[in-house]
Amino acid sequence: MNNAAPALPPRGFILRTLRAGRARGFPWVPALLLALVVLAALGGGAVTPHDPNGLNLGVAFRPPFWQAKGSWVYPLGTDNLGRDILSRIIAGARISLIVAFYAIVFSGGVGALIGMIAGYFGRAVDAFIMRVVDIQMSIPALALALVFAAVLPPGLGTVIVVIVVTYWTWYARIIRSEILSLKERDYVALAKVAGCGTATIFLRHLLPNILNTLLVLASLQVGQVIIFEASLSFLGLGIQTPDVSWGLMLADARAYITNAWWAITMPGFAIMLTCLSSNLVGDWLRDTLDPRRRQL
Amino acid sequence: MLGFLARRVVLGLVSIVGASVVIFIVSRLSGDPIVLLLPIEAPPALIAATRQAMGLDEPLWMQYLIFAGKALTGDFGNSYRWQMPALRLVLERLPATVLLALAALSFSILLAVPLGVLSAVRRGTWVDSLGKGFAMLGQAMPNFWVGLLLILVLAIQFNLLPAYGYGTAAHLVMPAIALGWYPVAAQTRVVRSAMLDVLDSDYIRTGRAVGAPEWVLIWKYAFRNAAIPLVTMLGVYFAAMLSGAFVVEVIFAWPGVGRTVVEAVFSRDFPVVQAGVFFTSILFVLSNLLVDLSYSLIDPRIRNE
Amino acid sequence: MSKRQALLAAALLLTLPALAWAQKPKAATGTLTVAFAAEATVLDPFKYSAGVDTYFISQMFEQLVRPDPSLKDVNWLAESWKVDENKGKPIIDIRLRKGVKFHNGDAMTARDFEFAYEKLRDPKVSRWSHLQASVEKFEVVDDYHFRLHFKEGDGSYTSGYLQLWAIPKNYYEKVGAEGFGKAPVGTGPWKFVSRTVKEEIRFEAFDDYWNKTHRPTVKNLIVKVIPEDLTRVAAFKTGAVDWIDAVPPSMVEEFRNMPGVKTVSVVTGNNLFIDFNTQQPNSPFRDPRVRQAAAHAIDMDAIIKTVLFGQGERYAEVGKGEAGYDPELQPYSYDPQKARELLRQAGHPNGFDIPCYNLTTPREPYVKEMGEAVFAYLTAAGIRCRVNGLEYGAWINLGRMGRNAPPEMDGVISWMWGHGLPGDAGTPWAGHLHSFVAGQGWGSYSKTEDAEADRMVEELKRVMDPAQRAVLIRKIARYKRDNVLGGLTTYRPLVTLAWRDKVDFKPWPAGFYRNMQEIGLKP
Repeated sequence: MNNAAPALPPRGFILRTLRAGRARGFPWVPALLLALVVLAALGGGAVTPHDPNGLNLGVAFRPPFWQAKGSWVYPLGTDNLGRDILSRIIAGARISLIVAFYAIVFSGGVGALIGMIAGYFGRAVDAFIMRVVDIQMSIPALALALVFAAVLPPGLGTVIVVIVVTYWTWYARIIRSEILSLKERDYVALAKVAGCGTATIFLRHLLPNILNTLLVLASLQVGQVIIFEASLSFLGLGIQTPDVSWGLMLADARAYITNAWWAITMPGFAIMLTCLSSNLVGDWLRDTLDPRRRQL
Repeated sequence: MLGFLARRVVLGLVSIVGASVVIFIVSRLSGDPIVLLLPIEAPPALIAATRQAMGLDEPLWMQYLIFAGKALTGDFGNSYRWQMPALRLVLERLPATVLLALAALSFSILLAVPLGVLSAVRRGTWVDSLGKGFAMLGQAMPNFWVGLLLILVLAIQFNLLPAYGYGTAAHLVMPAIALGWYPVAAQTRVVRSAMLDVLDSDYIRTGRAVGAPEWVLIWKYAFRNAAIPLVTMLGVYFAAMLSGAFVVEVIFAWPGVGRTVVEAVFSRDFPVVQAGVFFTSILFVLSNLLVDLSYSLIDPRIRNE
Repeated sequence: MSKRQALLAAALLLTLPALAWAQKPKAATGTLTVAFAAEATVLDPFKYSAGVDTYFISQMFEQLVRPDPSLKDVNWLAESWKVDENKGKPIIDIRLRKGVKFHNGDAMTARDFEFAYEKLRDPKVSRWSHLQASVEKFEVVDDYHFRLHFKEGDGSYTSGYLQLWAIPKNYYEKVGAEGFGKAPVGTGPWKFVSRTVKEEIRFEAFDDYWNKTHRPTVKNLIVKVIPEDLTRVAAFKTGAVDWIDAVPPSMVEEFRNMPGVKTVSVVTGNNLFIDFNTQQPNSPFRDPRVRQAAAHAIDMDAIIKTVLFGQGERYAEVGKGEAGYDPELQPYSYDPQKARELLRQAGHPNGFDIPCYNLTTPREPYVKEMGEAVFAYLTAAGIRCRVNGLEYGAWINLGRMGRNAPPEMDGVISWMWGHGLPGDAGTPWAGHLHSFVAGQGWGSYSKTEDAEADRMVEELKRVMDPAQRAVLIRKIARYKRDNVLGGLTTYRPLVTLAWRDKVDFKPWPAGFYRNMQEIGLKP
């Protein structure tokens, strides 16, 4: 197989761009925040000061430590069942990241694959796939998610499935147009002439070239996915107890919003800070890897 | 041009029909509405009889054909819960959602334009960063959270705005802000980069050289360039507003289609889910059509595709 | 059009809708605006399917018997009635009040009740036709006198306000079911004016209302429907409405201390309990000691105080004010040590793991949190719960018996079945205490199989005399409580209503206390 393709080797370029990026204002604070969130997620039960689901009616509604009845034992306060909010936020980080990771990997993978198939094979296959994409994109995202979430038993798995079903079209469309332009390049034609199978062309010639785009898309999606999951959980169709999700915490806190302002603001801040950080890092990634995509 | 338009319309119709099939199938898989409609003591015979009376014991494809046939005559069936035509229930509430989406869009543009222009003009300074930061906040906060905080602070704490309902411009403010903040970041970016592209161009520099006032140069000439991508993307933003409206309407008890569909999904009220998604899909397709139309007006190459 | 003009037009177009919105005019005097957290799905008593329908139906329609504010059943449209006997089969002999008019001027007669009976027993019309199943014949004696002939004793009739509604026969036949649903006519204190689904319903006081002592004193009533708690509270605080139901439990304290505002907290007639799987052969809950352990493991008082903000009333089988209430019968005490001891005796020294199903849809406020707290207490005592949250549809499906299909309720479930107001446990116990019998209507949601309980519940069904019912209910309650059968009772939810001082309001229990029987504006 003639590998005359001027494809960027996947390994080296990340290091190169990181090095280049340091000169271009790498967002240190957001990256640090994200690292913190990831650590919290990985740490799981070992990192939480209290059991996130540990009910203790005697200490319900404790305010955060800087207020009168607050204490360092429950730094961000407790909710209506006496559960420590900080511990729940840490536990929620785990769920948010699990959802974000799997949802993005799968929707990106599925979407990219379908986009590649559509772009590469063209004509009837392309037309059919694009019709499916059109049909799905004419249903408002949350409506589709709602209906799907009502079919499957609610929980972590369902949320991931729903997000994948909702977001794959986004990837498919963009990757398809990338492939359309790539497919005209010489090295692809050469590879075909040399007798490379479709799978090889996909893996060795097309994939490395769309990796940039995929990475940028994925990084921009993290915030969106986290908010989407929060919305689903908020409506009651997402994460269920005993799993902890920031969106679910917000939904629960709504019922006693005037008694515990911290219960409704802390999880929201967690969402905001995580999304902001990932968006800033994603922006930097995009500026570094693919400045053409500024309009995204 | 006409051919292009006609083709897009046909494709749009196909999408809408396809969407209705998907929603039909998926919603009917979501569970049994009978159990939710009848009292807890209902004997099994009554459950079976009700199911038969509502036509829910037929095979799925048969149910769809019956539904499609009736839908062509404008009959989307009766809401299981409200026992009134689902179509009426949805159409009565569509204007409220459209109003909210338009108001949210106005808010987002009102925010994005000055932010984008300022960021471009004062590029690299703290104004630029502040503008971008403020815009990015909107993208990082869930719209329902913004809504809740707004209610908590503006309505309950300071009693500045009505927390509920529909009827005056004051009722529109908080929902529009909660819904409209999200696209501000993207719009600001669009405006900013378009402005940057143009601010360095020759004719702006000439204008400066002949002593034209800066604000005239920015707003009368440079901004025109920024407005174009913004206007062409209006359809996309409007569609995004429609989607986000679902949750915001629930928070603010806004009498729109979104809230109706959310409730209908929970109560397995299939006719209303069907009708609601159908009409939102129409709006969706229309706004995307608008985007394509604007692009084609701008870019003659696409017209002859 | 130049590009700039087009842009200008687009901008204008976007702002126009908001600008065109005008202020609504101020309400006229003699009008009271209230807000409900939920609304009826139908206005026709024949189509009544959910308790929430009585919110509106109870304003316009009336029955023969009803509970008064002290929760005593009083004769209403019936002037008098008695249970008689004819050839060994019971008869209810009813004499109607004279001079009662419908909203459209028609006089109420026995024929209207006959019409109602015919409709209510028709399964094509009514979802409650099974309630009329034991009535054999409706005999009209004269315009104000009729008799119901029963096949056998039916306690649900006498405990259910004699089941029938006053519906104007001539009007209904003239306009048909659909017309009636759009413009309902009854004998109640409020006349239907207009309705916008999911927004509001408007009533006008009925001038010719028959009851001159208990009636509204304001002319117009606007009921706004505001399901969102915060929104409803804000509407009250800003003065948009002057009466709300369902004050969020977390704000009850605040409302009680609010100047110029009156509140009342009342039981709504729903009864919550925890049910255990006792029918599966290898279930640990087959042993009554395990059930008793569960009963001792839960600190229900703490849960009511903290999780429910005090908006719950503890009860043991039968609540205060209900038929057969026994003040001597106490709920189990909170004794986690005894719970562990009982588990040990039953052969579970290290406890056991079990799935616990929790309802997450707030059919009652905080029912999800309450369930989580209950399961946490069980876990602490050794009955280690694997909590599963279910939304309403899935929850009902899981609880229903006779499906012969997964999923199985194989552990503990948080459940509810209201006894109503003032409260009679007959029908609920037939549904969740009596064992499940396919096709017969017994035990449709029951996880219990106890022959003695079955016998007593079947006997209760046939008893129509209130005094006899009370005795039998007390007997069943004691047996049920001691053996923890048909579930472990937890609490009856309270609802708090709030209104401004300028509103003159007397709470009547109909429609779950949303009944505006006596309401008005102080002069």
